[in-house]
Amino acid sequence: MPQFDFAHVFWPQLAWLAISFALLYFGVVRLTLPKLGKVMDARDNKIAGDIAEAKAAKANADAIDARYHADMAMSRDEARNAIALAKAAAAKSTEARLAVAAQQAEAEIAAAEARIAEAVTKAEGTLRDAAAESAADIVAKLTGKQPKPDAAQAAVAALV
Amino acid sequence: MANPMEQFSVETIKPLTLAGYDVSFTNSSLWMLIAIAAISVFLFVGTAKPQLVPGRWQAATEYLYDFVRKMLDENVGPEGRRFAPLIFSIFIFVLACNLLGLIPWIGAFTPTSHVTVTFGLAMIVFVTVCVVGIWRHGFHFLSLFWPHDANIFLGAFVFVIEFLSFLTRPFTLAIRLFANMTAGHVLLKVFGTFVVALGSFGALPYVFGILPLAVNVALTALEILIAVVQAYVFALLASLYLNDAINLH
Repeated sequence: MPQFDFAHVFWPQLAWLAISFALLYFGVVRLTLPKLGKVMDARDNKIAGDIAEAKAAKANADAIDARYHADMAMSRDEARNAIALAKAAAAKSTEARLAVAAQQAEAEIAAAEARIAEAVTKAEGTLRDAAAESAADIVAKLTGKQPKPDAAQAAVAALV
Repeated sequence: MANPMEQFSVETIKPLTLAGYDVSFTNSSLWMLIAIAAISVFLFVGTAKPQLVPGRWQAATEYLYDFVRKMLDENVGPEGRRFAPLIFSIFIFVLACNLLGLIPWIGAFTPTSHVTVTFGLAMIVFVTVCVVGIWRHGFHFLSLFWPHDANIFLGAFVFVIEFLSFLTRPFTLAIRLFANMTAGHVLLKVFGTFVVALGSFGALPYVFGILPLAVNVALTALEILIAVVQAYVFALLASLYLNDAINLH
């Protein structure tokens, strides 16, 4: 195997390996990779920063959302309370007005009843007078004698 | 018929010597430099104008770099990031050599199929591990080899075994990669010669060459997989060894 012919392959290859590797390490890799590493680190940092920023923004948005929901719930409760209050107030005022109206109506009914009673009494009085008159007339015609008005009245009162 | 080992022969392109040592420019050196050139195109284009939203090239380079960084994060921890350029260099160098060596036709040479090269790479890892371990922990680095809650005799016994296994690390690391690459390339070449041998069967030409050709196609896919997996294994073991040096268990 030529590989083990060290008299011929050892020093030339080792010397040129040293030259090549030195060239590679100091002339190529050392000049290029640090630049690349810097960019890669910058990218990693940027991505990490962006993710942190996005997380912060999300947390902020979540907080705003929670506040919004809380506000909404509070407003809803307030509205519900206001509606209940308004309902209660309305019910109360309706009741009061109904009570006033009922009182008025009762008063009117009472007045009307009084008037009716009065009318009835008056009508009864008139009727009785008319009846007494008729009875007196009838008695006068039958007997030719005018009865006393009081007697006719008394007779009608006794009958009705 | 070409010898399946011929593909591994190191051919001198320009003979050079330095302080008495033979440091000739060979086809192996050439393909290492081609690998470096390919990597530098990949990296310089990919990082020309790095942007937060990457383009295609940048995404490709980032993918590989991120892969190495994640591997270090998982196996070493936050301290491992400092070694990302080194592990990345090793990973991409092995990967490029493995993959470029698989290109047919153009006489590609695979430096990582030579134990000398893989040993050199393993020594880079080993020396780094030793230096980091001693620099961070000093003499206490030796406690890496001492088992927790063991009596002195068992501890000494385990210490010797652990220390020897630590010393063999560069060799296992080197031989694993070299053996994988060599075996794969030999297999490809052997089936390649089958294609020629069976395909030139006089009475019925070409027909019998189809089967080994199909095998070779499948083997090429497998070799690409192995090229990537071995680069990954090399880098992964390097980061595990670094973890020992940095965290001491």
